[in-house]
Amino acid sequence: GGGAAGPGPAGADTVSAPAQGGGSAVIDMENMDDTSGSSFEDMGEMHQRMKEEEEEEAEGEAGAGEEEDGEFLGMKGLRGQLGRQVADQMWQVGKRQASRAFSLYANIDILRPYFDVEPVQVRARLLESMIPVKMINFPQKIAGELYGPLMLVFTLVAILLHGMKTSDTIIREGTLMGTAIGTCFGYWLGVSSFMYFLAYLCNAQITMVQMLSLLGYGLFGHCITLFVTYNIHFHSLFYIFWLVVGGLSTLRMVAVLVSRTVGHTQRLILCGTLAALHMLFLLYLHFAYHKVVEGILDTLEGPNMPPFQRVARDIPVVSNAVLNTTSKAIALTL
Amino acid sequence: RPYGGYEYPQQGAFVPPDMMQQQQPYTGHIYQPTQGYTPASAQSFYGSNFEDEPPLLEELGINFDHIWQKTLTVLHPLKVADGSIMNETDLAGPMVFCLAFGATLLLAGKIQFGYVYGISAIGCLGMFCLLNLMSMTGVSFGCVASVLGYCLLPMILLSSSAIVFSLQGMLGIILTAGIIGWCSFSASKIFISALAMEGQQLLVAYPCALLYGVFALISVF
Repeated sequence: GGGAAGPGPAGADTVSAPAQGGGSAVIDMENMDDTSGSSFEDMGEMHQRMKEEEEEEAEGEAGAGEEEDGEFLGMKGLRGQLGRQVADQMWQVGKRQASRAFSLYANIDILRPYFDVEPVQVRARLLESMIPVKMINFPQKIAGELYGPLMLVFTLVAILLHGMKTSDTIIREGTLMGTAIGTCFGYWLGVSSFMYFLAYLCNAQITMVQMLSLLGYGLFGHCITLFVTYNIHFHSLFYIFWLVVGGLSTLRMVAVLVSRTVGHTQRLILCGTLAALHMLFLLYLHFAYHKVVEGILDTLEGPNMPPFQRVARDIPVVSNAVLNTTSKAIALTL
Repeated sequence: RPYGGYEYPQQGAFVPPDMMQQQQPYTGHIYQPTQGYTPASAQSFYGSNFEDEPPLLEELGINFDHIWQKTLTVLHPLKVADGSIMNETDLAGPMVFCLAFGATLLLAGKIQFGYVYGISAIGCLGMFCLLNLMSMTGVSFGCVASVLGYCLLPMILLSSSAIVFSLQGMLGIILTAGIIGWCSFSASKIFISALAMEGQQLLVAYPCALLYGVFALISVF
């Protein structure tokens, strides 16, 4: 860095003041974007400037030591030292640009317009997400809103947690809460990104926020199905809900995507992938936690009874946890 | 009006000396621990005399009258909330409530202080981000933590009743649903009045309900 202690080469003068960024050929983003009034970013800039000043002082002391070595080596050391200083300056400028860009884009205020909703709108969109559209020749409007999808993902997490607690799921590596959050957010963000990538390949007219919104509202069907079937344990009831409720929300998403894509092959790829992933996710969520219930009851009562005639499946009203505790109590007394 | 009349020096403005000489009103001299400016100016006035030192609770910023007022606001769900309650971030009340919640869970045989701490920290952070995105004026983290902590009070009733009888029957489900609704209704009422977000009470109440639902989950199971 700067801070030349003694007579150095001519290049030392130009690197003596990197803080002002003067003489730099790189475009300074500070002048390009006017973000005045956003206090979050101003704080970030101030911190950055303070940190840079501290770093320069530290580098100045280190640089003085290096310079003496360079001079000692003569001409070769001179060129090496100049190159080192130039590289150092470029690295510092680059780092400053990157940190400014980061503090600009990591600002949470970017998401503000996507949360500007009324309760009536949210309710209308929730109901619409279960109604497949008929007109697929005209691009359908997708609301680019993130409040509803975010709340639906959190609701799914809560329902999963409730299901895990009532079925006495034991997660050995990790926590219940972490698993539930990881599953739901991973599905929402991961499948949205994957579908956005596929949509980009298939030339569909959809943005990332719209894809997140569409998939998020599609989770409404999942929430309803799981809420009902975690409490009422009929296998056939689950299959009916899976087909009807899951199917309706999948059809809605598929119809909207089809209306925004041109070409038969592209439509087939996009919609087939989305339908498969969406329906399989619901199937996975149901079976991942009911298997544990079957396992516990099997070990308690022995392998004599075939699994599909488990008592848990046939009693509609009694809560699963009460059944578990009574069966465990009976097993302990026997 | 219990909260009006005295401007709390929010931005660190200089407190005029004539205000400092009125010693009778208790509410005028609570030093907020979060505002670094006020104690310096006030203590220089009080000097080093032992008799002139403010009482310990006043110096710590713990005002039992305010705590009691806020508790009553939470306990009466139909009482209209005053928007200026939340100008001072008071974390003493919420601390007491969280410890009481953990203690009632302990009495029921569940040692889950860590869960309470973790869930409340993450929940406050989430609500802070959401409210900052949804409201015109921003909100501070202390305010969010304070409101959510105060509205945890009905949840203590739920966990106390879990000591006596199991909440996993139909009665327990109804009681749990009622208490979650009570907590989230109070919290959203205070947030709406403090942030002037009319017409969005349901949108604020729902995330609060999810958060208190997780607390209820650790009480019930």
